Amino acid sequence: MPSNWGYVLAAYGIAAVAFLAYWRHLARRARALAARRAAKARAA
Amino acid sequence: MTRALGWVAALGLAAGLTAGFGYAPREAVQGNVQRIMYLHVPAVLTAYLAFGLVLLGGIGYLATRRMGWDRLAAAAGELGVLFTGLTIVSGSIWGKPTWGTWWTWDARLTSTAVLFCVYVGYLLLRRLIEDPDARARYAAVVGIVGAVNIPIVHFSVKWWRALHQPSTILGPERAPIDPAIGLALFVNWLAFTLLFAYFLSRRMEIARLEEQI
Repeated sequence: MPSNWGYVLAAYGIAAVAFLAYWRHLARRARALAARRAAKARAA
Repeated sequence: MTRALGWVAALGLAAGLTAGFGYAPREAVQGNVQRIMYLHVPAVLTAYLAFGLVLLGGIGYLATRRMGWDRLAAAAGELGVLFTGLTIVSGSIWGKPTWGTWWTWDARLTSTAVLFCVYVGYLLLRRLIEDPDARARYAAVVGIVGAVNIPIVHFSVKWWRALHQPSTILGPERAPIDPAIGLALFVNWLAFTLLFAYFLSRRMEIARLEEQI
């Protein structure tokens, strides 16, 4: 039975990238919303 | 609270990796490639949870017309697509060295692909409708109808002759697996559930802020 570590690393690597990308996407949206809120508060 | 949940989820993932790579033994027949199961199985169980919450959110919205239910459904739908995508990709990577192919039109694989497409459609529908009430109403109906796919995916290996093996974790019989492998699966399932709860909490908070602005 070959070790197949390449397949294992590929699967976990893709999962890590997907989770980090989603986390960053949420963080960016939260920051953008906070900035819009602050701008709205300043304008009011 | 959400930040603390994020740290707990990160610790859970670290524990999951330790259990999957350091504690669980090399599987006797498949070898190391079986370790992909510590990612694949928790991902699909988390996707079931997510789509179950889409169903709950849809029913809750139609019954009460409260937007909180719609926020729950929207956030869970997004995460369900993420975890189903990971299920398909990790399963495909596992399939190449084990079955000799990246993809086959097996009942479990096909029904999972259909599940993925239905909820991608659910997210697209949400983007197409601007009126919040109409969006929540139509999305609730699609989310409820789409949930029919969950038992089809899960029981597809029983209902049709499939290449994919029957359920090990949520099967009717006691799981015929080594206790160390079972523990590694459990730790990773817990870690994925915590990560899901963290992402869900953050996504729902963002949706709430978007409604306020």
